[in-house]
Amino acid sequence: MGDLVLQQLANGLSVGMTYALIALGLTMVFGVLHIVNFAHGEFYMLGGLVTALLTSRAGVPYLACLPAAAILVAAAGWATDRLAVRPVIGRPDGATIVLVATFAAGLIINETVLATLGPAPIRVDGIAGVVKLGPVSLTWQRIFAIVFGILLIAIFQIILRRTEFGRQLRAVAQSDYASRVIGLDVERIKSLTFILAACVAALAGALIAPILSFNAGMGYHTAIHGFVVVVIGTMGSIPGAVICGLGLGLLESVASIFIGQEIASACIYALLIVTLLFRPNGVFSRSA
Amino acid sequence: MIGSIGKKLAAALLCATAFMPHAFEAHAAETLKFGAVYPTRNVIGTQAVAGAQLAVKMINDAGGVLGRPLEFVVYDSNFSPVDGVAGMQRLLTEDGIRYIAGVVSSTVALATIPVIESEGALAVFAIPKHPDVTASGYDGIFRMNSTTAIDAASFNGYLADVVAPEKVTMLGENSDFGLLSNKNMKALFGDKLVLTETFEVHQADFSAIASNAWGSGADLVCMAISNPEQTANVLRAMADLGYKPERCIMPGLLNSDLPRLAGEAAEGVFSEDVYLPSIDNELNRKFVSAYEASEGVTPGKIEVLAFEAVWALAKAIEIAGDADNLDAVKNALKTNEFEVLRGKVHFDETGQAISGTQYRIEVRDGKVVERKD
Repeated sequence: MGDLVLQQLANGLSVGMTYALIALGLTMVFGVLHIVNFAHGEFYMLGGLVTALLTSRAGVPYLACLPAAAILVAAAGWATDRLAVRPVIGRPDGATIVLVATFAAGLIINETVLATLGPAPIRVDGIAGVVKLGPVSLTWQRIFAIVFGILLIAIFQIILRRTEFGRQLRAVAQSDYASRVIGLDVERIKSLTFILAACVAALAGALIAPILSFNAGMGYHTAIHGFVVVVIGTMGSIPGAVICGLGLGLLESVASIFIGQEIASACIYALLIVTLLFRPNGVFSRSA
Repeated sequence: MIGSIGKKLAAALLCATAFMPHAFEAHAAETLKFGAVYPTRNVIGTQAVAGAQLAVKMINDAGGVLGRPLEFVVYDSNFSPVDGVAGMQRLLTEDGIRYIAGVVSSTVALATIPVIESEGALAVFAIPKHPDVTASGYDGIFRMNSTTAIDAASFNGYLADVVAPEKVTMLGENSDFGLLSNKNMKALFGDKLVLTETFEVHQADFSAIASNAWGSGADLVCMAISNPEQTANVLRAMADLGYKPERCIMPGLLNSDLPRLAGEAAEGVFSEDVYLPSIDNELNRKFVSAYEASEGVTPGKIEVLAFEAVWALAKAIEIAGDADNLDAVKNALKTNEFEVLRGKVHFDETGQAISGTQYRIEVRDGKVVERKD
């Protein structure tokens, strides 16, 4: 039993890192733009797609695909921002309209991929090999995803805390009005945040594609988990997204030993309801 | 001037649309339509559509059904009973289709039967395996695939007597098929079944489930999973743990997609099926070569069942001699033997297709081949 618990902890860390990375982008966009981006899961899917196509059809080494995925999906993020976010966000009820607009953008992205490539999954060859640490086995790809995820989160924190852009971003998150008063280009900062969030989602997709294979539906279901993590961890809170993402991944994996995978997955949604009942602003909010 | 042109255009448009319904009706009278709901965004759905469309092409190349060209209309079921019923209603009420030739999932099939019955239509389901699909009491339901009960009659003995495991783990999707398979394995192995896992049909990461299977110490892991993407992810997660017990897939679900998606992790996986691409008859040879030419891969069981559903229905209409007489077509299906890809098939009184041989198959060197033991 002890060996199994250790193995499930390792699995949970890997699953949780995916949730954390997905939630990271979602919560950033909510924190700065105050909108829910329903196209976010499709950026994750696009990251997997770029990696799948480059490795399987162009023979590009896996590691070289990561920056390529980030750059190409950043372009998709820029286009989505220009076409579906910026034109409507300033209108009355802009946040609600953006919700529908990004949902539509996500559908367009997904349908385009399905229409072009079909629904067949594509196997992605990542970093090969398995590491045995005592009773625990973990593929190099999963270890890479965990380490890369931690690095990414650390870089994010440095950008937010130590750079001029990070300070501007935090200012906009606190108050649009005050940021404009002190002369910040709020629209530019919001666009950059949206694009940065798309990059993070793309990298998450590129990290996961070798583990689960690429398929066009991969974004939708992962994004649902991402939304749950963001709500539990407080919308707009980056530490909340990371800690809750990792925590829920660990909970789901370890709980599956005792109560079965399906019920373990349902526990996440039960936690969501409990959070909404007792801490409606999320567990990392200052007020209940 | 512009107003005058506008009026003329409007008048021309009115005249054109006035004649359109007649033109459409004339076209519809010539074409015989078969409908289906398949999960077209999944591999299994695209395979089924490819098989059905090849049947339509071969029938049309040979002159159609009673001289009428055949048309195949398909909507996405998304593996969901809600979407499946919506698609079925659209086929039967909006498109006016009377003949259904294809559904993948038992859950979707069971949900659509009341709709088919209320519209008095006739359905030959291709892939569903749950016994209840042909136990509704409505005489317009037929099914090409073998049921879990038919499979069990052959496969259970092999598992219990030849594989003879000490401990068994069962991994089943949360569907009627998966839950029934879990129940069947419990009945077969009793206390030897040490772990049963159920999961959603859209789950992607199986590391936790594979670890639980490894933790159970089972020397046989059986899988009841319709979607080859999921089966591949389970097998890869097990291989990542270095866990390679005997692995079986419930009969009728092992096809060439699995080794393509799972790679080496699929080696040695075994199952049983009513079909092998190497079956030696004229129709099968023609089908396999046409499929390989158009799709670039050898067809598997899903394509075959979808093909056979269209093929048997078309032959029954020809025997009945009147596509508008559904009772005559039902009677033709019940009283005749049909030459399909796997050989000769007849339907029993419940509408279940009965054929002879079950083939034991396995993945060897990246291919699905007959297992000899």
